Amino acid sequence: MTVIPEDQIEHSLEQSLDYCIKCNICTAACPVSAATDRFPGPKYVGPQAQRFRHERQPSPDESVDYCSGCRVCNEVCPTGVRIAELNARARARMAAERGIPLRNRLISRSGLIGRLGAGPQAPLANALLGFKPLRVIIERTLGIAREAPLPAFSRYTFRSWFRRRRAPQTTNGAPKRQVVYFHGCSANYYEPWIGKAVVAVLEHNGVEVLLPRQRCCGLPLLSNGDFAAARRAHEANVAFLAPYALRNIPIVGASTSCTLTLKEEAPELLGMHSDTVRAVARQTYDIFEFLRMLHERGELRTDFHPIERTLPYHPPCQLRAHRIGRPALDVLELVPGLRLVETHASCCGIAGTYGLKVEKYQISMNVGAPLFETVRRSGANLALCDSETCRWQISHGAGVAARHPIEILAEAYGLVT
Amino acid sequence: MRTTIVIGAGLSGLMGALALAEAGLRPLLLAKGQGATHWTAGTIDVWGADERSPREAVQAIRASQSYHPYALIGVHAVEEAIARFRALTEASRYPYVGGLERNVPLPTAAGALRPAALMPVTMAAGDMRLGGDVLIAGFRELRDFYPPFIAANLAAQGIAARGMYLTLPPAFRRREYTTITFARMFDDPAFRSEIGRQLRAHRGNASRIGLPAVLGLRDPLGAVAHLQNESGAQVFEIPTLPPSVPGIRLFTLFQNAIEQAGGRLQIGSEVIRGEGQDRHLTTIWSEAAARQQAHRVERALLATGGIAGGGIRADHTGIVRETALDLPVRAPASRADWFAPRFLDPQGHAIYAAGVAADARLRPLGADGEIVYENVAVAGATLAGADTVRERSRSGVALATGWAAGRILAGLVS
Repeated sequence: MTVIPEDQIEHSLEQSLDYCIKCNICTAACPVSAATDRFPGPKYVGPQAQRFRHERQPSPDESVDYCSGCRVCNEVCPTGVRIAELNARARARMAAERGIPLRNRLISRSGLIGRLGAGPQAPLANALLGFKPLRVIIERTLGIAREAPLPAFSRYTFRSWFRRRRAPQTTNGAPKRQVVYFHGCSANYYEPWIGKAVVAVLEHNGVEVLLPRQRCCGLPLLSNGDFAAARRAHEANVAFLAPYALRNIPIVGASTSCTLTLKEEAPELLGMHSDTVRAVARQTYDIFEFLRMLHERGELRTDFHPIERTLPYHPPCQLRAHRIGRPALDVLELVPGLRLVETHASCCGIAGTYGLKVEKYQISMNVGAPLFETVRRSGANLALCDSETCRWQISHGAGVAARHPIEILAEAYGLVT
Repeated sequence: MRTTIVIGAGLSGLMGALALAEAGLRPLLLAKGQGATHWTAGTIDVWGADERSPREAVQAIRASQSYHPYALIGVHAVEEAIARFRALTEASRYPYVGGLERNVPLPTAAGALRPAALMPVTMAAGDMRLGGDVLIAGFRELRDFYPPFIAANLAAQGIAARGMYLTLPPAFRRREYTTITFARMFDDPAFRSEIGRQLRAHRGNASRIGLPAVLGLRDPLGAVAHLQNESGAQVFEIPTLPPSVPGIRLFTLFQNAIEQAGGRLQIGSEVIRGEGQDRHLTTIWSEAAARQQAHRVERALLATGGIAGGGIRADHTGIVRETALDLPVRAPASRADWFAPRFLDPQGHAIYAAGVAADARLRPLGADGEIVYENVAVAGATLAGADTVRERSRSGVALATGWAAGRILAGLVS
């Protein structure tokens, strides 16, 4: 096992093996093993195979690479085995033994890709990536599935919009509540309108939005087993964010996987436990988790316009892994007329970069099939989901538009974004 | 904000959450993971320790064992719970049959006979008093279900039973098989037709065919009817080892009913502590990423299970704890008193009846008999006073006390 400095989680992971009673509830819930024989299930690959993983010995099985990291196994385990973490570490170890393929190095660097594609050159980049013969070549040379849903680059970044906009008037000079907005790569390079909706909703509620420097949270690196690069990303983000966290300024994000990475995935998988890492983790909130907290304190504005719609809502795996319930439903329940129906499909299949890979594309579509069917059967022309890659996958698989719930909330407030 | 909290997603928590949701209280159900439903057979076992009918046994307990959960709530509450449960399962197109009048002996995957008060109608033809020849059929690919072994054990009890293995159609072959893999196959009519044909070819004189309880997740009733048509015999399900397909069906139908009535389930969130004052539980915390999630509490139902389910924990020093709210536990004073000298002691072992003591309104009691929290009700295996494995009363106690606790918290029981 890779030795990670100041690692406290390794011990608890090893210990959690003993909690496994082999009940197979995880196998029953695993969306990947339901879709493919290449993944025999969380119990085998996690707590069972872990018994055979030893330092200085080769990894006993390759099937762990087919774990999508959705964490459904953790969610349903009745005894508290940390299966997803076991798998993530086992994959990282395999990556360290065998090297990381160029394809995985590329698609896990979402910040780099975003910087290359977003901006005035976006139309060209989008046209290239939409050009089917080129996608075939990319598939053959790199192994990125030709059909996989790639988002379109934005012609401007969220940060450039934020810098240029006219800052709102401060109210009577009273000290305002401040938050840091962690936009992540998707809102910055692909969907700046989501960042705008976040800012609009927060400012509507009298919250000042701060935008310090930030890097990709590193989750794609973690899930592709590139722990060294993920560590550099997290160290950089902690350096940028800790000054705010240490002053108890919340860090709010609308990308559920970025916020989960800051809260838990990076510290735990990388064994980073310094005071500043902890402070950042403790101050990180999903946007709706934060808004729900405001509501619980009676500080959330509820001047909503009615929205007479019934829409399917898919709580993404990475949100469920926060273990905070369904904050988007809790807040959107306050909007008159709006009814959201939870999908109960375990996973959309994309799992970040998993479904982009040519050998996993079909698996990811099969994993998502029950969700696509639910969305299509709902008859709605719009589905809501908090996570960007899941939205792209839902649109791709179900053929309907998918939006972030914050966009609906901004609409209910009558905010033009 | 949801301030009606149910802790635990087993049968008692689900029944309680349903009662609270139907009362308009929008309960939030928190659970560490999925459990009791997925672990157990899917029958409702009210009482099976002796030859008495479940009704007789429950009535007698009222008189003789005042601490027993059945004694706390009474036979009427048990009946109410069963009536609601039957109506729920019927409305969900997965009806249960049976009642308190008599137990039905159903075969297990070891070929033993196990008494159940209620069972899904897909198991009903497994009543071993019905007579006639029985064929037990299964798949070599499904572990822990061996038809020849089941049949041999049934035959040893005087039942004309024969066992056989079915051939898995090549198109359905997988690398790994679980009960769920098979349940998904049985959701496919093409698979059922093929299996039905094999059953007809091999059924011989059998008027009934027992199959592992994997006959589909979407429409088990339709699957059984389809197999009966194809095979020409009555078909029944025999519970398997976990994960339990009948249990998953139950969980799903409860989840749908609770959510439709305004409730919410949050699986994967273990409740780790609670805080209160003046005999009023005010806040509970569940485990979450980076920091605990606080929940303000107006009323709470504790249904985290017993020692097997993780609601009660006993350690090597002899300390027995309730894990969610740290309520006082009634348990043997020292570890030496946990077990009777003989393994199969007819009185059972004292530790198995350990749990939270409660009053007739299922409120938790301290050692002094004082109420700990007025706004908390305890249900299921967390309650002290029942050795549910020995009594074969686990699911009956869960169902009845879960429903009763929900109704009490909703203010619907005077």
